[in-house]
Formats: sequence, structure tokens, C-alpha cells
Amino acid sequence: MTVLILIVLGILLSPFNGFAQDDTGKRIYNQWCAQCHGYEGDGEGYAKEFTFPKPRDFSLGTFKFRTTPSGDPPTDEDIIRSIRNGNPGTSMPAWKRFSDEEVKALVEYIKEFAPDVFEFEPEPIKIENAPPATEEIIKKGKELFRVAKCVECHGQHGRGNGKKAWRDDFKDDWGYRIDPANYTYPWELRNGSSLKDIYRTITTGLSGTPMTSYQDSLSDEERWALAHFIKSLQVERRLGISLRLKKVESIPESTDDPQWESLDWLDLPMAGQIIFEPRHFTPTITNVRVRGLYTEDKVAIMLEWVDKKPNKGDDGMPPDGIRLQFPSKIPDGSERPYFYMGDRRHPVNLWVWNAADNLGKEYIAKGPDTVYSQQKQDVKAVGVYDDGLYRVIFVRSINTGDSEDIVFETGRFIPFAVTVYDGRLQEQGNKGVISAWYYIMLEPSTPLRVFVLPPAVSLMVFFAGFLLHKRLSRKADA
Amino acid sequence: MTNFYPVVALLGLAISLISVFRKSPFFNFIGIQITVYGLLKSAALIMPPLPGQVITMYMAMSVFAFLIYFSIQEETFRAFLEPMRAVLADRDKRILRVVLVFILIPLLAGYIAYAKTKPSFEPPVSARIVHPEPPQQIDFRGKTIKILGLENPLRKDTEKLKDYIEEGKKIYYQNCFFCHGDDLDGKGHFAQAFNPPPLPFRGTDTIAQLPESFVFWRIAKGWRGLPPGSAPWDSAMPAFEDFLSEEEIWKVILFIYEASGNKPRTWE
Ligand code: HEC
Ligand code: HEC
Repeated sequence: MTVLILIVLGILLSPFNGFAQDDTGKRIYNQWCAQCHGYEGDGEGYAKEFTFPKPRDFSLGTFKFRTTPSGDPPTDEDIIRSIRNGNPGTSMPAWKRFSDEEVKALVEYIKEFAPDVFEFEPEPIKIENAPPATEEIIKKGKELFRVAKCVECHGQHGRGNGKKAWRDDFKDDWGYRIDPANYTYPWELRNGSSLKDIYRTITTGLSGTPMTSYQDSLSDEERWALAHFIKSLQVERRLGISLRLKKVESIPESTDDPQWESLDWLDLPMAGQIIFEPRHFTPTITNVRVRGLYTEDKVAIMLEWVDKKPNKGDDGMPPDGIRLQFPSKIPDGSERPYFYMGDRRHPVNLWVWNAADNLGKEYIAKGPDTVYSQQKQDVKAVGVYDDGLYRVIFVRSINTGDSEDIVFETGRFIPFAVTVYDGRLQEQGNKGVISAWYYIMLEPSTPLRVFVLPPAVSLMVFFAGFLLHKRLSRKADA
Repeated sequence: MTNFYPVVALLGLAISLISVFRKSPFFNFIGIQITVYGLLKSAALIMPPLPGQVITMYMAMSVFAFLIYFSIQEETFRAFLEPMRAVLADRDKRILRVVLVFILIPLLAGYIAYAKTKPSFEPPVSARIVHPEPPQQIDFRGKTIKILGLENPLRKDTEKLKDYIEEGKKIYYQNCFFCHGDDLDGKGHFAQAFNPPPLPFRGTDTIAQLPESFVFWRIAKGWRGLPPGSAPWDSAMPAFEDFLSEEEIWKVILFIYEASGNKPRTWE
């Protein structure tokens, strides 16, 4: 018995035990983190040039995502939160597969890359007494947003398009380009998009970035008001595979016509084009919103996306732009053109708009490198850049009579795809941001029988019941 | 939601049993139909759910069969019809009659007619084969590679295997992880933009089912190599013969098996 206790004690106390624990953190880190954060924790991993933002360099001990005052190291819980939740809008995924012990070991290992920074025991802020959302508090937040100069970086409507960030020297402490956050897209908020997450960001700031802490310059109440305002700007993302267009009398010509707002929409998640050279690994546009309607003879599609800095093609960079793609004819079976630019046997129509000339152009593509302009140009387009948001309306006849053009038959699901370009990132040609195939359907007006038949059936059943009742009760009386 | 159907079946059974005791063939019939419906729906718990049409067909058969059963004996049949007659004719059932016969049933019939006449539009669904048959051989940048029976040539080099896997890791995190995920779970930061979604390598139903040469073919030829049944026009999988050498592809294959904890299928 004593021997056994001694052995157990020996194991518990042996330096070997501590060693084994260290090994867990290092082992998992080297297997699952080092490809990005580097084997030395210096951010020089294999994926460094292939993601934006770049993976964190832990060797400086600067951490963006904290509950601790600016300049202080993060708490263990802060690092655990980053590992467990990931950083939305970046390549840092949410790691759910590891046990709590394994994550703790990872945290210890990460801290070893900057040991002196972590000698100091930080004091986390308290996140409590969140006031409820009211119109007043949101209004107050909006006012503060201007007064505290958040607009300079984040833009009037919080789309991350403030002019201050357009300068070439707008960088983080690691020397890399950085963009102010676009609050309207919650899926892009690295530090989380809940009210408390936003409050935490404003209070402690994101160390190493131009996003500083407002713990000292704004009161607690003011920071909650700002958080409520920012939360109120978030859009509802509607994902799906198809969008139905309603028939109307006439097409609203301006992009800010309220009729557009009243329509249903479809959000398309976007990704870099990585199938053909030049492959594009680090795009920043994440979403394109689609709306549409049609009249007796025309169809109109409005595309909407956030671009933090407009490029008109006059500054040595290509212009911003967008491209809408349809198959040249509605596919009969399931076979259709390749979703990016079609293929030799299945051409696609391209409707193209760019910010330099602000008009619609029509092309035929039979693959990524086979694109030609059409003789007869039938597409009209007009686009507006307003406070970080592009809105472009394409209009074309339902049937142009051109055999290479798609005919928009009502009631048919017609594939479409989108490519969008941000000139600031040198995007043009095949270096673009692309979507999968989706569908639009021009919803036919409801046939008359839908209004006539159901009441008729109801009446008939009613009378049948009534007659039966009469007959049976007479029989009963007799 | 499917968990709720066994409860429906039990409820139907209860109604049916109580009705047997109370000698009410009509409610017994109703209870039986509810039980049958609940059971058909519960099938989804142990097998792929039955399509709506199949369920309608079985229900029609069940209604028909039990109607015949209850109408064989004249006495039972009269008892069976009694509740219906009572609702239609009895003086003391007036309120029930107005509600049921004159309001609810006509409304229900009208609604069914509406649901049937209203034109419904559903986007086409394309059933695609996820693991198509590979070709016997492929042309890899002018070189013919026989796929059937082929093994990963790097696996034999046990001494350098660790280095190969590490090089494969580098290739993976510069070419693949955007879609197939940092954790090989198919959830890379670009994954959401593509349809069909990128395959996960973790788990036992993707690469664990395949010999390495199949995987080589899928990586080398990408969307371009897919047969029509696998909807090549929708697949974002690049043809990596455009970007990687033969050896690089074998290396990244070593990595995805190692990292996902899977073993390739061997040629028996
Ligand atoms: C595919 C690349 C990738 C992998 C793999 C990866 N990370 Fe990250 N990680 C990132 C990026 C990119 C960021 C920075 C996000 C930002 O700057 O907004 C980040 C941020 C972090 C942060 C937040 C740092 C801060 O400033 O607060 C922590 C902690 C972290 N990673 C830990 C890990 C751990 C632990 C693993 C392994 C289990 C891991 N990461 C794997 C890309 C990766
Ligand atoms: C000097 C420019 C600048 C100013 C002024 C500024 N920010 Fe920021 N902000 C940034 C940058 C840059 C980021 C993105 C940091 C990143 O991606 O790591 C950011 C990010 C954010 C985020 C989102 C973080 C996340 O989870 O992705 C919030 C919320 C935010 N800022 C709120 C504010 C508020 C509120 C103010 C005013 C009180 C403000 N910012 C002022 C530059 C600024």
C-alpha cells in the first residue's frame, strides 16, 4: 500500500508531470496553429501571405482582443475566447474540437512567446449593467459617434469608409494595411457582434491597431450608448438559393427610390476567385445583396455592396465594378454553364458596370479567358456610391431578340452569379470576388382560378352538408 | 420534430383502444388512421424519411382497407356511421353541427382547393454524385497516369515521410484551407460562398472511403474532371494540375490523411 502511495506521489510531484503538460500545448500548437502563427509564434506561418488580416505575431505580446485596459496583457479567458469563438471575418476559426484542458495548455504555450509581457497580472474590466435598447439611447449613441470622432474612421453610417483610413499610412503596429470595421455586417466583427462584445471593443480598444481604447475618454454610459447605436446598424443577412421578382408598373430609376427598400432581397456570400490564375486569396468584400423587379417588357436588378474606399480608375488603380452573369439561354435539364464565366459549350451573358464610366456593357463569355463584347448593346446600368455603399441598377428588355441573349421567361428559375471588384486591391479581370450560381424567378401574376375555385368548393361542401342534414333530420322525424 | 411523431402514433393507439371499449367503430377508425400516420412519419427516425407522395399512398390504402373492414358487418357499419348521422341530424347536436358541418369542413375544403390550385414554384434541385467513379487513367500535363491500382509513391519512403507530410501541410495552407478549413472540416472562410460546399476530410465518409489514387484524380482534375452526374458546372474545386506538380499533390494527400486521422482505402 505505502509503495503505491509513494509511486502516486512520485508521479504527481515529478518534474516529468509538468513537462508532460507543456508538451500538450506545444504539440497542439505545432500541429494546428503554427501553419498560421508560425512555429516560433512570430506570425511567419505558411498561410501568412494568403489571408487578410494576417495571423497574429505572438512574439510582441500585443493582443487585440482583451477585457483588460489598453497596454495590459489579456487574461487567460480572453485568449480562450479567441480560440473558442474564432475571429469572424478572418481566417482564425472557432476551435471547438479541443478539450478545455487542451485549450488551457495552448494558452500557456502562447504566453511563452512573450513571457515578460505576461509577468504582470492584469485586472479585467467589468461588463455589467447593460442598459436596455431604447430610441433615446440609440439617438444619444449616434450623436456621440460624431462627437467622439468615430466617423472619421468608421464613416457616417458605420460602414468602415471614413476618409482617415483611406491614407496609405493607415496601418497596424505590425506594419500591415488595416481597415476600420464595417458595423453593418455583423459576420465581419472580429471581436464578436453582440452588444457586450461591442461594448468591450470600445472600452478596451484593439491593441496594435488604430482602434484605441475609450475607457478614459468616454463614460460607461456613453460607451453603452455607442454600443447600442452600433448594434442598431447591423443588417439582417438573408441567405438562400433563389430570389423572386415581382411585377410592377414601372421601374424606379434612382437607386434611393424607397420602392427598392420594400422588396425582398437575397444576400450572396462572396469569396476570392481561386480557380484560375491570377488567384485572389485576400479579398475584403464579403457580401452582395440582390433585389429585382420586372415590368411588361423590362427586367431590373439592383446589386448592393459595401466598399470602404471608392475607386474611379483615376488614381492608377482599376475602377471598382460589378458583373452580373446569366447563362445565354435557360438550361433545360440540370446541365448549365460553369458557374464562373461559363465554358466553351455553354456561353454566359455578362452585364458589366464600373465606376469609371458608369454605364452598362454586355459581353459573352465562354470561359475565363474567352470574353467578347456584343455587337448589339442592350443593357443599361447606373450606379451610385453613397457613404460606403455601392448600389448599381441593371435594366434590360425581357427579350432582346438577340439569339445570344437570355430571355427572361416568367415562372422559370434562371441561374445568375456575381463577380465584384474592389479597385483598391487591384481587382480586375479574373482577379475578382465571386459567388456561386443562384436563381432569380420572375413571379407570374396569380391566375384567376386561384381566387374563384376555393370559394366555390367551400360553398359546394356547405350545401352538400346542408342537404344531407335536411334529409337525415326528416328521416329522423318520420 | 420527428421525435414528436411516435407520440402521435401512441395517441392514435389510445383513441383507438378507448373506442373499442366504448364500442365506437368510427372513433376507432380515426384512431387507427392517426396511428398509421404517426408510424409512417416515425420511420424517419430509423431510415431516410418517406417522401410525401409515398405517405399519401399508404394513407389512402389504409383508409380504404379499414373502410372495407368496418363495412363488412352491417351492424358495425351502422354503428360506424352513427356519429356522422348524429352530427348531421340530431336536434341536440345543433351547435356542433353548425361549427363542424357548416363552418369548419367547408373552410377546410376551400383551403385544400386553394393549396392545390395555387401555382407553386420550387427551384430545381440537382441530385449530385459526390464520389463519382474515376477514369482508368488520366493525362497529367502530357504524362499518362494510370489511376486504377495506383498507390501513393511517397508512402514507401518511410524515412522522409515526416518531411513530406510537413511539405504537404505547407501546400495545404497555401492552396486548400480557404475552402476545406483550417481544421479540415470543410468550413474554411470561403466555404460559405460555394455551392456545393467544400468537402470535409475529417470523419469517415469522404477520403476515408477512397484509395489515394482517387483523391489524386480529384485534386489534379478538379471540377473539369467531374462527370455530368456530379454537376461539374457547380463545383469550385480547382484543377490543381494547373498549380501543383505531381509530387506536390502526393504530398498534400499524405498531409490530409495524416491530419484528419484517416487511412486511405487500399486496393484489395
Ligand atoms: C488559418 C490561419 C490560422 C490558424 C490555423 C490559427 N489562427 Fe489564430 N488567428 C489567425 C488570424 C488571421 C488572426 C488575427 C485576426 C485579427 O487580426 O483580427 C488570429 C488571431 C488569434 C488570436 C487572437 C490574438 C489577439 O490579438 O487577441 C489567438 C489567441 C489565436 N489566433 C490563437 C490561435 C490558436 C491557439 C490556434 C491553433 C489552435 C490558431 N490561432 C490557429 C489565423 C489563424
Ligand atoms: C483612427 C481610426 C478609428 C477611430 C477614430 C475609431 N476606430 Fe473603431 N476601428 C478602427 C479600426 C482600424 C478597426 C478594425 C480593427 C481590426 O480589424 O482589427 C476598428 C474596429 C472597431 C470595432 C469592431 C471591432 C471588431 O470586432 O471587429 C468597433 C465596434 C469600433 N471600432 C468602434 C469604434 C467606436 C465606437 C469609435 C469611436 C468612439 C471608434 N471605433 C473610433 C479604427 C478606428
